[in-house]
Amino acid sequence: MTTTVTTVTTVTTVTRPPLRLGALLIGLACAASAHADDGMSKPGWSLQGFGSAGAAYSNNAESDYVTSLLKPDGVGASGRWSANLDTRLGVQLNITVNAHWSVVLQVVSEQRLDHSYRPNVEWANVKYQATPDLALRVGRIALPMFLAADYRKVGYAFPWARTPVEVYSRIPLTSSDGIDATYRFNRGALKNVTQGFYGHTRLALVDGGFIEARRTTGFANTTEYGAASVRVSMLTTDLTIATDYIHAFYDGLRQFGPQGAVLVERYTLDQKRVNAVSIGASYDPGRWFVMGELGRMRTRSLLGDTTGLYASAGYRLGDFTPYLTYAHVRANSRTTEPGLNLAGLPPAAAGAGAALNGYLNALLTIVPAQRTISIGTRWDYMTDVALKLQLDHATTLAGSRGTFSNVQPGFRSERTVNIASAVLDFVF
Amino acid sequence: MNFPSLRHLLAALLAPSLAPFIAPLLLALPMPGAGAAELVVIVSAKNPLAALRADQVADIFLGQVGRFPDGGDAVALDQGIGSAQRDEFYAKVTAKTPAQVKAYWSKMIFTGRGQPPREAPSSVAIRKLVADNPALIGYIDRSALDASVKPVLMLH
Repeated sequence: MTTTVTTVTTVTTVTRPPLRLGALLIGLACAASAHADDGMSKPGWSLQGFGSAGAAYSNNAESDYVTSLLKPDGVGASGRWSANLDTRLGVQLNITVNAHWSVVLQVVSEQRLDHSYRPNVEWANVKYQATPDLALRVGRIALPMFLAADYRKVGYAFPWARTPVEVYSRIPLTSSDGIDATYRFNRGALKNVTQGFYGHTRLALVDGGFIEARRTTGFANTTEYGAASVRVSMLTTDLTIATDYIHAFYDGLRQFGPQGAVLVERYTLDQKRVNAVSIGASYDPGRWFVMGELGRMRTRSLLGDTTGLYASAGYRLGDFTPYLTYAHVRANSRTTEPGLNLAGLPPAAAGAGAALNGYLNALLTIVPAQRTISIGTRWDYMTDVALKLQLDHATTLAGSRGTFSNVQPGFRSERTVNIASAVLDFVF
Repeated sequence: MNFPSLRHLLAALLAPSLAPFIAPLLLALPMPGAGAAELVVIVSAKNPLAALRADQVADIFLGQVGRFPDGGDAVALDQGIGSAQRDEFYAKVTAKTPAQVKAYWSKMIFTGRGQPPREAPSSVAIRKLVADNPALIGYIDRSALDASVKPVLMLH
């Protein structure tokens, strides 16, 4: 952040002539734009970071409120309080080689599926600034879905305790290994940035399984006009989620012949083409803001087909930004399934088939249908630190478990759960 | 690493209570520019540029544009963080509070889209750097103006 640069200024002013200092700092500060002709671009590096310390409380012990599908548990059933929902620390190393080449490495520590906080390389890419307006990157790159997906881990950058789960938790993958190109053009007050990307992501699950997104292709286009901003993003990928558990389930279905094979084909997550599209808009003249997003995702699998949206507004009162958010996600695909037709089967087979049908319907409850009303405030407590206090009033709908996991026998859909969160976000 | 920030963080974590939570809500309405001296946006006298609009200045300082309208390289130079000049400049040119500017740059930095302008400690230091380099653009107290630099926008 700026203060990092300030510190460098303070330290180096003492020891170096001002022009050298200027050259070094501009090298650091202007990785994004080429300055070959001003002769001030020099190699350099900087270390920057962000983090969140969060605590959340849920009034419902029959399920866990989770903020990402890549969390092992949440708050509620596994404990009334949890610090694991929003707590994380990220460190970013920026290396500027010259006016055209730079490298970025970002490492994030947050709770993983194995419950550890082992750091993960979120990004590691090399950027080539071909012209002041065209940049190419290769390596591990943030996925630019939605308005805020590429900085959703940087709590300080947005007003809420976390990005609305009804929209954002549908795409838990945040980066991909591949290439991207970003082109910006300005026409008068209209500013446009177009980004296209291609890559793949592979993520190990705890039991030896994995999630793999191959041939991920997409683009995001952001247009700004004064205080208004609109972003359209699209993504398509071949998604595989493989675990021993789910393979055993498919094998079970296949034993029921053609009707089992049909169900496997309908719900399997083996290289299924997944499409996501979203449009988001915001208007932020300074004193207040409104923003909203609409996203649709088709998975042709157990994960279902959903439409999510949210609308949020806030007003800035000095250091406080109270806000109100309404979010909704609904399932466009079926969330219950008659499953195998067991008529006429021998009792043992019918029993096994009924168990498989029950398991399938339990799996389908993860296709989210939920609405949440959130109220909260951001408090810009001091330089580089913001505290967010948020209350979420979340109602699961249509038999779905919404964004809840770890559901206990007493869990019922169409009930409301209240979650209170306090998150201290900081950058350094 | 940045020691002032870590110290701030520590202080924030150790803050005794949230008791002062409500009072500032009513009192802390920002008054941008109250009592501050008049600011001018400057480029080098060697720069052919005659004038800029506030939105063009904002684009350069927010890292949206890397060139002046005539095509020359544009590199912004900030006053020190926390200075009255800096807060007033961003309030007038971008309608953002210091915290909003910070949040904006968090977004830019941690998506790899840019880095904030470098800083210089005073109006005089900025004037000297800008005078020597036609690519630089800064803002200084009007009283610090001299012939080595050219005002391109007045901020009243």
